[in-house]
Amino acid sequence: MTNLDGKKRLVIVGNGMAGINTVEHILKLSPNTYQITVFGSEPYPNYNRIQLSYVLEKSKSIEEIILNDRDWYDAHGIELYTGTHVTAIDTEQKTVEASNGMVVPYDRLVIATGSRPFMLPVPGVDKQGIVGFRDIADCEQMLHAADLYRKAAVIGGGLLGLEAAKGLLKLGMEVTVVHLFRELMERQLDPVASHMLQAELESQGLQFATGKQTAEFLGDERVSGIRFADGTELEAEFVVMAAGIKPNTELAQSAGLAVNRGILVDDYMRTSAPDVYAVGECNEHRGISYGLVAPLFEQGAVLAKHLCDIETPPYEGSVVSTQLKISGVDVFSAGEFMDTEDLAVVRMHDDWRRIYKKVLMRGGRIIGGILVGDGREASRLQQWIRTGAIMTEAIHTAIVGQGAPDTENTVADLADEEIVCGCNGVSKKRIVDAITENGLTTVEEIKSTTSACRSCGGCRPVIEQILQYVLGDQYDSAAAKKETICSCTSLSRDEVVREIKEKGLITSQEVRYALEWNNKEGCSKCRPALNYYLGMIWPAEHVDERDSRFVNERMHANIQKDGTFGVVPRMYGGVTTPEDLRLIADIAVKYNVKMVKVTGGQRLDLLGIKKEDLPNIWKDLGMPSGYAYAKALRTVKTCVGSQFCRFGTKDSITMGVLIEKRFERLDMPAKFKMAVNGCPRNCAESSTKDIGIVGNEGAWELYVGGNGGIKARLAELLCKVKTDEELLEIIAAFIQHYRETGKYLERTSDWIERVGLQSIMDTVVNDLDNRHALVERIELALSQVQEPWNEILDNQNLREKMFDDVRISTTQS
Amino acid sequence: MSSSAADPNYTYYEVGSTHDFLERVGRRVIIDEQEIALFKTSDGELYALENKSPGPKGGTLVEGMVSEHILFDPICDWRIRMEDGQVLDPDTGQVKTYPVLLTGEQVHIGIPKNGGESGNG
Repeated sequence: MTNLDGKKRLVIVGNGMAGINTVEHILKLSPNTYQITVFGSEPYPNYNRIQLSYVLEKSKSIEEIILNDRDWYDAHGIELYTGTHVTAIDTEQKTVEASNGMVVPYDRLVIATGSRPFMLPVPGVDKQGIVGFRDIADCEQMLHAADLYRKAAVIGGGLLGLEAAKGLLKLGMEVTVVHLFRELMERQLDPVASHMLQAELESQGLQFATGKQTAEFLGDERVSGIRFADGTELEAEFVVMAAGIKPNTELAQSAGLAVNRGILVDDYMRTSAPDVYAVGECNEHRGISYGLVAPLFEQGAVLAKHLCDIETPPYEGSVVSTQLKISGVDVFSAGEFMDTEDLAVVRMHDDWRRIYKKVLMRGGRIIGGILVGDGREASRLQQWIRTGAIMTEAIHTAIVGQGAPDTENTVADLADEEIVCGCNGVSKKRIVDAITENGLTTVEEIKSTTSACRSCGGCRPVIEQILQYVLGDQYDSAAAKKETICSCTSLSRDEVVREIKEKGLITSQEVRYALEWNNKEGCSKCRPALNYYLGMIWPAEHVDERDSRFVNERMHANIQKDGTFGVVPRMYGGVTTPEDLRLIADIAVKYNVKMVKVTGGQRLDLLGIKKEDLPNIWKDLGMPSGYAYAKALRTVKTCVGSQFCRFGTKDSITMGVLIEKRFERLDMPAKFKMAVNGCPRNCAESSTKDIGIVGNEGAWELYVGGNGGIKARLAELLCKVKTDEELLEIIAAFIQHYRETGKYLERTSDWIERVGLQSIMDTVVNDLDNRHALVERIELALSQVQEPWNEILDNQNLREKMFDDVRISTTQS
Repeated sequence: MSSSAADPNYTYYEVGSTHDFLERVGRRVIIDEQEIALFKTSDGELYALENKSPGPKGGTLVEGMVSEHILFDPICDWRIRMEDGQVLDPDTGQVKTYPVLLTGEQVHIGIPKNGGESGNG
């Protein structure tokens, strides 16, 4: 059944966040597939239910929490019926019947009816003055009640209940939170965190009746109080029910769909009836009905792809995280949160500062945690849980090492002669003296004065603490920690890049003048960085500054410890020929090469070559440079793939060669390694590459941010694509996004940790316009690259000055 | 540092014209057994330093980066003042330097007459 435009009919029952989020995904993926009709029982377009507590607090108006206004529905040709609920579904005839009498046929039907507050089944629950906290109407009732009454009770000490209670308190009511359990938010917090939360909320004026089971609501027509099971009573003129939610399943049930607590769905949100789906809080997936927003978005994304016939991994459940949205209370919880015998725990508990942090690990992997009082690491904790990150020194420091009281003591207790910077052997006393004698106020100043922290950077946090300890009240945290490009400037990387663009600065000399460098020609830190940023911003205009390159990139070869060089010719995809091998062997003999080595990236390295021989070898080889020295694409490793391998499903070699030819020679913030695999056996080791590609039957998976180096990191899945074209497009967009936002020398593994995988996904995968713009910019940059060995061979003058020594024999002169 | 007056304690050898050296890119000059790194700064000054890093890990200097009259050691990133080879704070040490003599555009490097043990030129 299709309509006149050839579109299929999609009907959405429920105009809330789950249904409309699904619609938004569909419009992005395939805007012309469906004619969409939406029914919503509330009189409003889709709004942000999560932010109802802000409306209650009066920090936002209803208009401000509207997510999609009516113009949006019109613009996308969506028929919207608000204040209208669906009364019946006929799964045989494939029609729905609405309360306004309409009968609408569907090809596909999505039920997104959400949930409602669970009303306790006790006597008196139907009295006036007892409401849920679920929609705008509830919110308006609460605002109204605050004008008329003083004493309120909120039943339920979970997330929603506490938010409602805090809202009513702000409206001037006296509020008591009634909770069945001893501990608040017992489904997200352990007892320690829970008691800290309660103490904090009590100090803000909330009252609590915990461990109380509601037995009856007192009063005549209107509620006047609550009687508990233990016989005690609480006066209350207004009651908010927030003791859990109940999925709205009646419609589905009467249509004969399989229903348990929620409408039963599989991993693609399919219900028991053909072409009928359920998404969000109304469903039950693998035994769970979620009551939080993140899972419903994840479900919506999978459902939308399924409805658009786009291959997608199944939805396998969500890692649930919770953040309390109450001002002045920082509480975060994700994954598993209760100590059990099989879990290892990292814990930091500080009653004086009221900070509590706990991270749980199973087999060394992070699987859950709680943050109270300091939620700065919340998003990273969630990421660590999602990826099953292994606990490292750095993560440990990020979680428990930042509490100022601890570290202050540590620094104060540190002996004067204690070495703070192990790389450069700088003691605490040296740093303290430098701060007091030279009036230093920033880490950068300490770096350039004492050499501490100039190599690996690992001691940076300790130096910050010493600075704080010595300066006391004078310490300005933001200024002290600011990471400038180098000590020649007080500007950070982002500030410099912005100024370069805004002021149209083309040469590094212009940058140093215009941005008031304290040093006319810069230093070994900023020179290569500026050269990179300028080339990235102005690919056509900027002339590469050879004298600002490190020696390897200047000489286009890898210098070795004895001053000789290694030469690696390009071998696309790691594929060579007998003729090329013979040539390489002959050249190795001719130049008396000290060693021929197969590199980690499937290439041949000729080692021990004299500088003056480099151009001759390049000439004899007649092959392009393999860029083994460069901050650019090094190699694309490939497995044998479908050309020869019995298991191969994709032609990894052809794809690897194609990618290497397309992206070679382009400057990047740091070296860049790739791999292409023909099947999930992953013989070319994608998980430790900046981009690792894995072929599956009918699709490519793209993994990013892997690193097998100093700080090992497993690559994470960016997306899965069907066609070679889309694969190349996303690679191009990813590389360009990294080029534009990465700090010089920052590998993708650190970059992704810094900017977040989700934001990268949004930029290079989800936002098509942005993706295409990135591709356009990288094309321009790629059109400017040149083969560097030929460039030198073609320029006899440059070749002599750069590669030939001047030799003088005094006996002849 | 280049000058136009010869120091009588040195024997000077011609190593080429000023155009044979790229600005801010070092070039190795070998006079008998002595390895020298010659640098031309952006203001045209020429400096000859012993091609040996003063840092703990050894290595050569000629690959270093030149900013004004400072050389950044390519291995340990120490800052070396090219006029006298002095390693600048916070590190310490000194690199041996040789006098450079200019006659017109011809560049000459002075080697100590007493077998190379004279102080820094």
